[in-house]
Amino acid sequence: MTAEPSTTVSIASGPLVGPILRRVVGMLAARADLPLDRLDDAVLVADLIAARAPAHSVDDKINVALDPGHRSLRLRVGPLRQGGGRALIVDAAVPGVGNVIEQLADELSVSPEGEAEFLHVRLAYSNGR
Amino acid sequence: MDSQQSHIGASRNARITRYEPNGRQPRGTSADVRLSLPARPENVAVIRHVLGAFAEALRIPPEQVEDMRLAITEACTNVVRHAYYRESEPGPIDVIIRPDDERLHLIVSDRGEGIGPSPDADGPGLGLPLIAALADSVEIQPGPTRGSRLSMSFTRRPHVGAA
Repeated sequence: MTAEPSTTVSIASGPLVGPILRRVVGMLAARADLPLDRLDDAVLVADLIAARAPAHSVDDKINVALDPGHRSLRLRVGPLRQGGGRALIVDAAVPGVGNVIEQLADELSVSPEGEAEFLHVRLAYSNGR
Repeated sequence: MDSQQSHIGASRNARITRYEPNGRQPRGTSADVRLSLPARPENVAVIRHVLGAFAEALRIPPEQVEDMRLAITEACTNVVRHAYYRESEPGPIDVIIRPDDERLHLIVSDRGEGIGPSPDADGPGLGLPLIAALADSVEIQPGPTRGSRLSMSFTRRPHVGAA
């Protein structure tokens, strides 16, 4: 962990959330040296967050903190309303495919903070994938 | 016009004004995008890319999008080069992209040295005049505690072929 500030993006709910978030995630995933298939996965997760998070946000904004590491990218989504973290994951289920975020993330957790909570997603490159 | 502002430059399109403390503060709306990134050169590309996506989604004409991208690149490059030159690690660049019915407002802030003469400045000093030439208005204000806040606005031109 460095003292350097992380990257944060805050976008008003609406049609611009997807185009903005997917670009930020895509560029930082590339910066983290994720291979192309994992970069695609990261962008897909970003699209799902963009589509589902507005229903669970505590306000009208989608807030995401991004932390690119060595061949990994961490996303912290929130603040979300109580129960919103799990609900966001459940909402990302696609009929016939299953839960896309759960399938793509290497780590997935929800942490409470005050009266809100945050969804943490980590995507990483793994030779065994 | 705020009585505490002082004019520090002018160019083809816009006046650059510097606001003293207690000047007006830009206000966010429910439709804005806020980005905060470490002030590193590679992050200027992220900001430029996001602005391009935003402007395209608003159907702003490509030539005006290029003006906006160039202006924000200059503003962010100023922050990368000068705002944190005394510090071992860069602080953040804060960017707000805020549309309204007629204009697109871009606000670039730092929490470091702000805009002003810098002992490490060795470039030709064309950044602010270029921004002023591209934007319809430019304002410079001090940040809430440190640094400065550069606000640019662009009158949105209609997209050719728009219904």
